Amino acid sequence: MITAVGAGVLRIAEQVGGIVVLAGHVLRALVSLRAPRLDGRELVKNLYKMGNRSVPIVMLTAFFAGGLMMLQSGPFVKQFQADALAGWGAGYAVLREIGPILIALMFSGRVGANNTAELATMTVTEQLDGLRALAIDPVRFLIVPRVLAMVVTLVALTVIGDAIALAGASVVGHFLLGIEWSTLYYSFVDNLEPYDFLHGVQKAVAFGAAIAVTSCFFGVSVRGGAVGVGRAVNAAVVAAAVSIMLLDFFLTFLLA
Amino acid sequence: MITRIGASAVSAVRASRELWMVFVSTIAGLLRRRSAPRGELARQLHAIGNKSLLFIAVTLGFIGMVMTYQACLQLGKVTGDYTRVGSQFLRLIVSDFGPTLTAMMLATRVGAGIAAELGSMKVTEQIDALRMSGVLPIDYLIVPRFVACVIMTLVLTIAGSLVMFAAGGLTATVSFGVNPQTFFDLGAVRPRHLIMLAVKAGAYGAAIPVVAGFCGLRARGSSEGVGWATTAAVIGSSFSVIILDFVISAGALWVTGGDL
Amino acid sequence: MTAFVEWRGITKSFGAAPVLRGMDLAVTRGEVMFIIGTSGVGKSVTIKLLVGLLRADAGEIYFDGSRVDHLPESALAPIRKRVGMVFQSSTLFDSMTLAENVALPLRKHHRLSQKAALVSARERLAQVYMADYADRYPADLSDGMRKRAAIARTLTLDPDVVLFDEPTTGLDPVSARRIDRLIRELADRSKVTCIVVSHDLPSIFGIADRIAFLYQGKVHALASPAALRASPDPVVQQFIGGLSTGPMETPGF
Repeated sequence: MITAVGAGVLRIAEQVGGIVVLAGHVLRALVSLRAPRLDGRELVKNLYKMGNRSVPIVMLTAFFAGGLMMLQSGPFVKQFQADALAGWGAGYAVLREIGPILIALMFSGRVGANNTAELATMTVTEQLDGLRALAIDPVRFLIVPRVLAMVVTLVALTVIGDAIALAGASVVGHFLLGIEWSTLYYSFVDNLEPYDFLHGVQKAVAFGAAIAVTSCFFGVSVRGGAVGVGRAVNAAVVAAAVSIMLLDFFLTFLLA
Repeated sequence: MITRIGASAVSAVRASRELWMVFVSTIAGLLRRRSAPRGELARQLHAIGNKSLLFIAVTLGFIGMVMTYQACLQLGKVTGDYTRVGSQFLRLIVSDFGPTLTAMMLATRVGAGIAAELGSMKVTEQIDALRMSGVLPIDYLIVPRFVACVIMTLVLTIAGSLVMFAAGGLTATVSFGVNPQTFFDLGAVRPRHLIMLAVKAGAYGAAIPVVAGFCGLRARGSSEGVGWATTAAVIGSSFSVIILDFVISAGALWVTGGDL
Repeated sequence: MTAFVEWRGITKSFGAAPVLRGMDLAVTRGEVMFIIGTSGVGKSVTIKLLVGLLRADAGEIYFDGSRVDHLPESALAPIRKRVGMVFQSSTLFDSMTLAENVALPLRKHHRLSQKAALVSARERLAQVYMADYADRYPADLSDGMRKRAAIARTLTLDPDVVLFDEPTTGLDPVSARRIDRLIRELADRSKVTCIVVSHDLPSIFGIADRIAFLYQGKVHALASPAALRASPDPVVQQFIGGLSTGPMETPGF
């Protein structure tokens, strides 16, 4: 029992260490003055691919998340006969918490998991060694563009997703709770501040970086064939979920 | 363009039919009650339940703290009255956040795990070997995971909800000076909320292994195929949790006539 | 004659299992050196040590007069540009066409634009008789074709030495002899030193200048093909005769 716990702790420490080291490499590549900081073509290719892949699922998620928050604040509104506050609870929760978190979780499941699978497949088929043998640094060529692309994509998705979530909240508020469109509109505009929106977007930057680095780490540190690739993807999404929750906690207190 | 949309619509219809068949065969296998080896259910309960406990406790604990913090922050700006934060937070946990967030987390851990395992078995032809020895893969592989996941989603939902409420209470008392006795107030929870928790946990617990098992069994090729299957399982099971949440919540709203 | 590439007293273990136990080998400039032996004897390990994909436990490795085994990853780039490697699994990037695969090192190291690199890549694919397949993806092609494209990609850096890891394993006999011919042409026309890891007998006796026979973690025999064939050593005779019984000790059998 104790040895099992010890081994588990060691493994987690090893993974956290590996993720931090990889993050350091990425940062160093980004700030270094040596010419090929990152591969522009790879960046564009990944931006296109990641955005393309995640937009539909994230938009649907955002719509339902907004609707759900409105459903949950429904009883309060009914209790107090305060339709004017309908947008307050739903909008505040969506912009600050539920929106960024759910969008990040879905992004991790779609883009992060896919990225791990891709890198893991490249690793087990020795394509990373192939790059090294061609004197091309895999961190600069493969990982830095992916990390940048993921941060940019997740921030963009969060910005669009917030708007769609508020639309989802309005649709549910109007059709299921019978609140007037104009009442909904003013309850958003009167009660939400620009900073609520910014709070969520700042979180998205951190979530994007965390998802990117963990998904790349588990991709390149894979061992052993098809079984290993599946396990790597599994480990990557779990690690991403934990880091999203931890970062959310710290950022909430830090940014207030 | 039109042919492409048509083709993807056809494949979507085919996939949903296959998914439905996996669900039906799982239920059928469950009713037949045989062929899964002894001890397999216990092993799956351990793999899905015990091994997720820490993960669920950590993630739900942190989000419980964050949600309470945000709620108190906002209330402080408007009324400054924290007396109902605890009871309403508990009501929200029981009727929605507890089961849904637990299931979202399980979809990433357990959903990906099932798909990775079954996907590797598929591409290394172990599933075909099972068939050749006269065993139905769904009975043998998915039924025990299905039962274990339904049971453990409920158990973990209860555990996660308790952790979330306790973590929220900690934040409210430490950061906002709310009296613990005021916060830990069970008054707002009614039986219908507990029914809601059970229904949601049951639905999520059933959906995750079916969607993930379906994705795993569809894996093709080699390592790349397993990667795809695992990715599809994470996204598929997370998304079904959100859809089920919406459908069940809206249904409850309709049944109770707007009084959740 | 001085050695162009040299391994001195190399030891390498994986976990508790020793693979190389004090191996010495010197390769001269421009020759085709075959490293042969049974599976798991450390042939691929030997060449991966030279380009720093693996690290030796002890011993020294020299390339063109300077020591390379202790260099950090960042200092290995110049070595890797002069020592190309063709992997057993080809390691073409699946997300790129053959032309894009070959264009990648051109774009990265010769600072060509994507357009110019692609033009040059097509010419280089033509040299390995793969011009017709430039726009296909690796997954659509046979092993032999992928191997030829991988050779073209390695040659883009104009290396002095090319390492081949089992270039003919798993290929049909015709494709295998075509690869052999490419290797021989490379040594004869371009004066490139070729170090080939193999256990494919027709290829060994078809194109090798010298053969190093690895056995029990050391170079057991080093000779020309004719001399090796005539060797009285029973272990060598068992290997080149492909006999299941004999003095050779292989793990697990």
